[in-house]
Amino acid sequence: MIFRSLQRRIVIVFVGLLLLVMALVLALVTRSNSRIVAAEIQRELSAGAQVFSLLMEQNRRQLETAATVLAADFAFREAIATQDRPTIQSVIRNHGLRIGAQVMMVIRPDGNLIADTQNIAPADRAVPFPDLLSDAESAGKSSGYKQMKDGRMYQVVVVPILAPQRIAWVAMGFLVDDRWAHDLSGITGLAVSVIRRDQTGVTVLASSLEQSKRAALSDAVGDVTAGLRGELHIGGEHYQTIYMPLGKETSVALQRSVEQAEAPFQSLQNVLWTIVLAGVAVFSFGSVMLARRIVRPVNVLAGVARRIEAGDYAEPVPRLTSDEIGQLATSFDHMRERVADREQKILKLAYEDSLTGLPNRTRLIEEFGNLPPESRGAVVVMNLDRFAPINSALGHPVGDRLLSEIGLRLGSFRSATCLVSRFWGDEFVFLLRDADRAAAADFAESLTTALRHPFTLDGHRLDVDASLGVALFPDDGRDAVTLHRRAELAMYAAKRRRSGIAFAAEAGEEPLPEQLSLIWEMREAMAHEQFLLYYQPKLDLASGQITEVEALIRWQHPQRGLIPPMRFIPFAENTGFIRELTPWVLEAAVTQVAHWRRIGINLVPAVNLSALDILNPKLIGHLRRLVEQHGLAAKSLCVEITESALMEDPELALTHLNELAALGLKLAIDDYGVGRASLGYLQTLPVHELKIDGSFVRAVAETPKNAAIVKSTIMLCHALGLRVVGEGAETPDDLAWLRANDCDVAQGYGIAQPMPAEELPGWLVAFGVRRWKQA
Amino acid sequence: MYLRAVCFTALLLAGASAHAGDIEAAVITPTGQPLPDAAVVLEPVAGYARGPLPTVTIAQRDRELIPYMTVVQVGTAIEFPNQDPFKHHLYSFSPAKTFEIKLYAGKPEKPIVFDKPGEVALGCNIHDWMEAYVLVVDTPYFAKTDARGRARIAHVPPGSYRLRWWHPRQKQDLPVHILKIGAAPMRLTQKLDVSPRIIKPKPPLDKEQY
Repeated sequence: MIFRSLQRRIVIVFVGLLLLVMALVLALVTRSNSRIVAAEIQRELSAGAQVFSLLMEQNRRQLETAATVLAADFAFREAIATQDRPTIQSVIRNHGLRIGAQVMMVIRPDGNLIADTQNIAPADRAVPFPDLLSDAESAGKSSGYKQMKDGRMYQVVVVPILAPQRIAWVAMGFLVDDRWAHDLSGITGLAVSVIRRDQTGVTVLASSLEQSKRAALSDAVGDVTAGLRGELHIGGEHYQTIYMPLGKETSVALQRSVEQAEAPFQSLQNVLWTIVLAGVAVFSFGSVMLARRIVRPVNVLAGVARRIEAGDYAEPVPRLTSDEIGQLATSFDHMRERVADREQKILKLAYEDSLTGLPNRTRLIEEFGNLPPESRGAVVVMNLDRFAPINSALGHPVGDRLLSEIGLRLGSFRSATCLVSRFWGDEFVFLLRDADRAAAADFAESLTTALRHPFTLDGHRLDVDASLGVALFPDDGRDAVTLHRRAELAMYAAKRRRSGIAFAAEAGEEPLPEQLSLIWEMREAMAHEQFLLYYQPKLDLASGQITEVEALIRWQHPQRGLIPPMRFIPFAENTGFIRELTPWVLEAAVTQVAHWRRIGINLVPAVNLSALDILNPKLIGHLRRLVEQHGLAAKSLCVEITESALMEDPELALTHLNELAALGLKLAIDDYGVGRASLGYLQTLPVHELKIDGSFVRAVAETPKNAAIVKSTIMLCHALGLRVVGEGAETPDDLAWLRANDCDVAQGYGIAQPMPAEELPGWLVAFGVRRWKQA
Repeated sequence: MYLRAVCFTALLLAGASAHAGDIEAAVITPTGQPLPDAAVVLEPVAGYARGPLPTVTIAQRDRELIPYMTVVQVGTAIEFPNQDPFKHHLYSFSPAKTFEIKLYAGKPEKPIVFDKPGEVALGCNIHDWMEAYVLVVDTPYFAKTDARGRARIAHVPPGSYRLRWWHPRQKQDLPVHILKIGAAPMRLTQKLDVSPRIIKPKPPLDKEQY
């Protein structure tokens, strides 16, 4: 968490490193200090012990010498020689004062006391330290440490009194007390304590330690062995201790306080700690300031980066420091400018149609998305009416230039409330804000007007018409895709009706959900071969022969059974699925006919083409390949086209029909009579056959009006050189009437219902037998 | 104590060199070394007639008292001539004769008369190492062993005597024996245990003085 901020990280790393170094230094100092202290204490102890020994020896010699000098004092000797006890008593007191001895004793050579300053009576007592005396016998003089009757410790020196031979011993006792200990302590630098150990326990006889520590010392001292070293814990302090022997049951403890030895190092460490803490504080402050200096421009840059991320390229990066970060900021600013430029280009590419410079589909959809939710308006789809023939006749470059010119002209309609865009090909889409039906109608009208002036390209004068579809929002839809589709459907309706403009509300609803599922189901059916062809025979009335069959599609639905074409073909046409269906129908029919031919049945199949098929430029190539593949003569295939299919785009339809005719195919106009095409128009088409709609033929004998229409149509067609097919011939009367009125071919239930391919050969045999019987 | 009497041997000596009443004495240490400066004293049990006494001299020379040991008859006057070019301060705290001759040079005005029998230790107060011993006896028959540990008492009349042995550093008093002396000379031998002489430090003489 705390490492997330660069500033903190810098501070932590800096201060952490400092702390590490300081900790190492401190650890080193502390370690070497404690080592130095330990070594120093041992050294001090050893040196102190040595000094102590020397001092004791020196002290002994001095005392012995002093005692010897005193013992040689003539008057002293004279007094001793008197054998007069009071005299002796007073002289030893006097001379004791001179030499500074607290105890004086005169001892006879036999070891008995003559006089002493401690305990005057009774006389003739045995000397309390015969060992010193015997030492003195052999060495001339002796000294040692003795506890006297008063319980105190004395350094006792025994020297002879010579006159000139030894006439007595004089013993002088020098008090070993706290002062003595303090004096020695002052010289050795060690705490000096005299300890006595006997059966009763440990007693501190004298010490330079303060009173409070003495009891602790006597408690702490364990087995005291001369020369032994050890550490004692006394009164909260640690003492390194060395023991020196003093007498039989007494020894001296020389001690060095560890704490005192550590004190100067402790103060050094305190100084170090102060330096460390101050250093850390200064370093922390410094690194915080440094980190801020580093991080502040970084933060500024980060802020700029966030703005750029949000799409705001406007604000330039502020000029920062002149260091690396400053250079980074400069580079950053350059990057911002480049990115802004590039985004501008990308936006242009993304939202602009490169051919016309108009906004494209994406832009329009996005713009629609930006509209307030409750806004009203219209989506207008405009499609050029005769663009395909222009494109194929004059070539795509010309087509593109025409589109560009149109775009230029339409561009003048751009305004705050109107977005002009080109979706694709020759389709332009307009988004009108705050437009009601009337305003949209006016706008569509003005568009039509704008295109009325012809365009001139390379000297060619080109007239352009367009069909427009209008969808209003929110009435016809709430999203751009729906509105566009509905406007497009309306546009197709307008195109079909040649009405120029159509409104979505009038052009029909959206495909129902079941129809939507139908698209999917049709694709499935295609994949699973659920489509099949039925064939309906056509009777040549002159010869009484069956020479042709019409291929009619059926859908064998696994659940719904056989679905008639009226239920799905119109939808396939609307959705464009027919483009996939028709090639299959052609393939299947041609394959079937080829099969029949191999078994000796010669039939010409007729296949229905929809408006989309006719307008499909790939159809010709497809048909050519198909015919060649199956080794059929082109005239052995007939295609039937309704009038309305031709009306969608008459020019293009004509172009394609001409190509089909040139290929040698038989062409028939289907459902003649329900459309509005005139025979005059039809006459301009390269068709061979005209199929009169069944609604005229059915019961023609009983309906004089229909009979008149059919009769005159037959006559006119014959006059124009067209063959006439009567559809819907349901009764023998109908057939008889058609035959009587020179109709060329009849088709209908009166002859046969559409049937599966496998039934046809049988039916043909049966039909031949029946005819033979009638004949 | 009397069993100790066997410690000495009395021998009757025969020979032309020896006169009647001559007593030859030898003193040795327990290890058999001859012991000089030991006194052998014969005190006549029956008493004796006093005669004139010689004046004895204990000189101070080279910061020493010479001789180290002197035996004298009671009443003998001893002179202490100082032959050193500096003064001495002679003293004795011994009960037999306590005296003091304060710093003097040359011969003191009068000799010191040792009028009581007993042992007298002499010292110099300004030269601690100087020491000498005087044994004052109540008999004219006495002698001191020489460097070979021998002593000779001549012309001792026959009779009973208390025989005493003494040395300044003897470790213990020896018992006194009665010795009968006849006409024949006698030879006596005695073992005597003594402490070694404590050699006190003697600083070298300051040459500048003389």
